[in-house]
Amino acid sequence: MIALSDYLLLAGLMFAIAVAGIFINRKNVIILLMCIELMLLAVNINFVAFSHFLGDTAGQVFVFFILTVAAAEAAIGLAILVILFRGRQTINVDELDLLKG
Amino acid sequence: MGFEKFLFFLFAIITLFSAGMVVTRRNPVHAALYLVLTFVATAALWLLIEAEFLGIVLVLVYVGAVMVLFLFVVMMLDIDVAAMRAQFIRYLPLGLLIVGLMMFNMILVLGPGHFGLEHFAKPAAAALDYSNTEVLGRELYTTYLYQFEIAAVILLVAIVAAIRLTLRRRPETKYLDPSAQVRVRKGPDRLRIVKMPTEPVPAPVSQAAAGGKNGDDQ
Amino acid sequence: MPFETAFLATVLPELILLATACAVLVLDLYLNDEQRGWNHNLAILGLAATLGTVGLLSNNGVTIAFSGSFIRDPFGDLLKGIILILTIFTFVYSRDYMRERGLWVGEYHVLVLFATLGMLIMVSAHSFLTLYLGLELLALCLYPLVAFDRDSKPGAEAAMKYFVLGALGSGMLLYGISMLYGATGSFGFADVAEVVNAEGLENKILVFGLVFVLIGVAFKFGAVPFHMWLPDVYQGAPMPVVLFLASAPKIAAFAMATRILIDSLGALQADWGEILMILAILSIGLGNVVAIAQTNIKRMLAYSTISHVGFIFLGLLAGTQEGYAAAMFYTVVYALMAAGAFGVLAMISINGLEVEQLDDLKGLNDRDAWLAAMLALMMFSMAGVPPAVGFFAKLLVLDAVVSVGLTWLAVVAVVFSIIGAFYYLRVIKLLYFDKAADSTPLRLAGDAKIAITVNGLAVLLLGIFPASLLGICNAAFSG
Repeated sequence: MIALSDYLLLAGLMFAIAVAGIFINRKNVIILLMCIELMLLAVNINFVAFSHFLGDTAGQVFVFFILTVAAAEAAIGLAILVILFRGRQTINVDELDLLKG
Repeated sequence: MGFEKFLFFLFAIITLFSAGMVVTRRNPVHAALYLVLTFVATAALWLLIEAEFLGIVLVLVYVGAVMVLFLFVVMMLDIDVAAMRAQFIRYLPLGLLIVGLMMFNMILVLGPGHFGLEHFAKPAAAALDYSNTEVLGRELYTTYLYQFEIAAVILLVAIVAAIRLTLRRRPETKYLDPSAQVRVRKGPDRLRIVKMPTEPVPAPVSQAAAGGKNGDDQ
Repeated sequence: MPFETAFLATVLPELILLATACAVLVLDLYLNDEQRGWNHNLAILGLAATLGTVGLLSNNGVTIAFSGSFIRDPFGDLLKGIILILTIFTFVYSRDYMRERGLWVGEYHVLVLFATLGMLIMVSAHSFLTLYLGLELLALCLYPLVAFDRDSKPGAEAAMKYFVLGALGSGMLLYGISMLYGATGSFGFADVAEVVNAEGLENKILVFGLVFVLIGVAFKFGAVPFHMWLPDVYQGAPMPVVLFLASAPKIAAFAMATRILIDSLGALQADWGEILMILAILSIGLGNVVAIAQTNIKRMLAYSTISHVGFIFLGLLAGTQEGYAAAMFYTVVYALMAAGAFGVLAMISINGLEVEQLDDLKGLNDRDAWLAAMLALMMFSMAGVPPAVGFFAKLLVLDAVVSVGLTWLAVVAVVFSIIGAFYYLRVIKLLYFDKAADSTPLRLAGDAKIAITVNGLAVLLLGIFPASLLGICNAAFSG
């Protein structure tokens, strides 16, 4: 039998991988955006699992909205990426150093 | 170990493996494709716990639209992958430390001690005529009407923002305006009849001069 | 009863604002470059109508609508009113700056109006789902606003940093919300509060979720150690966007913190109070010390923001009604001061001058004495010099902290504020005692001057007669 803890641990691991990915990827902004998608996916797994084991559909409704927002977020993130690339010809995080104090 | 549990572990391992690959690949195309694999495996995991609608939406909307958008941008930007080799190892210990610390906390809290089967029993399987989509639809258009409208506004903002940031009219772009094309009239726009007196027949041109002229034309 | 027509009357302010934003979006299509002023007028008219409706609907009762996802109460009405007023100020201050740089297009008005709508939704959220959606609506408008000048390289870079760290913050917040949902079986504030009151600290999952929610809130506020985005965003974004970003969203963030921490997780006060204490000390300390080293005025004010966030947290962590009211008073006052300070900076960034460095402020007094006086007033107020209202706000917060026995914390805060007073006074020295490179008098629009005068008078008069605003703040938490 699948237990709730299995799903939560899976989501927890995925969340940790995503957060670590944001820290280790110093070279590529696109992969940072993908890490954000992974993070939201981990949260969604949590919600779906709780929804099933609590017998309450509200959790699935929440996931529906997170998916909507994440799609909008991806569109805006990629648009910012495009203008960033146009101006600098790079998406290397380490080379984004105009703002220092 | 039942068949369900076997399926769970199979897809969980695929999910975690591909998630790990997403964050460690240097080539963004590979990372995007691994992310697609993560989404598909997760959708299967959701089907296992009766979240059919979301599982399908994840594949259709996420893999079908959002990931395609990602790939589109990756291809459009023409990134120099070779330049992204070095310096990866430098931040790896930090990353492993973060994963380690978070996992330590999470296993303490999220493990079977709090969320095992004895605390949350597996709910009985839904009836055969139960429709997950219908239930979600009812909730969405009644209880969550307000939030639904906000989500609509968020999508509108995404459109406005993406257009503002990336759409620009370049002076060198040439384009046809179909409405102007349709509106052209035969009268003064396209055809003009000019009255002119008849010309006298020109004197015969010598063969050499005509050849030279042809040569210039080519 | 999932939906009743009466609910529409409750959300009338939000509906009017939404209609205004959509109307500007359509109207902009039919305007040529000389007629863009109509966008501006329509936006301000819509904001004023929304403000009027908030006032008309306001009463001492509490209305909950849409199956418990929307709440209208006096606390929310006050914060909504101030958010709307600050947005009107933003439009008035920013007009000449944006027009001169060719950024005065319909999208600017539309995005700011939608961001304001997001803030109103946050302020009257009564469930985690509504709160999250309001927050994202606000954030998704702010990211493109930071990069609004498409050809600005620092702008795009700042927007990217803001986007990645903002999304990280949202992710943390969501993870926390998912744990709270798992522990309580609901994400309405009232239902969560019920379970939390019953179980309290016994439930380790609640505490686990609380930590993630707090990290998310701290990210949105820009408290140390989650402040990395704030100086870069302030430096890279166009001045009017910084003006907007620094004022109204702070009020929305405060509403978010109040709704989550007090309304729904009030029983866990002992836990979140301790975490807020660490964040507050770090923010006040680092914000004030690092600000001294800055030569860029926007970065300096960014670190100053961080230290003010620390003060807001001080009021919250006291955990008493007095402390909450003090924190609310401080937030409102800070937003007014930030709007005034950045408003002056946006107004003097005309005729090709882009105010970036502190030296750009040299001799402002010779160029426009009234603006220099207003900026000086804002600086005095931020430094906490009486009779400006900043002094009174600091006093209230410190009083609340001392009255719960945390005298040492108040002493630490005072020491760092005195260190911080140095960099505010340095600005005043530049304004009055240094010579400007170019001392031609500034020619400014009349309405912007009226707005900055109203803003300055508010900061001064609230300092002399704080009782009216403080009374409303106290009433908001007495229920």
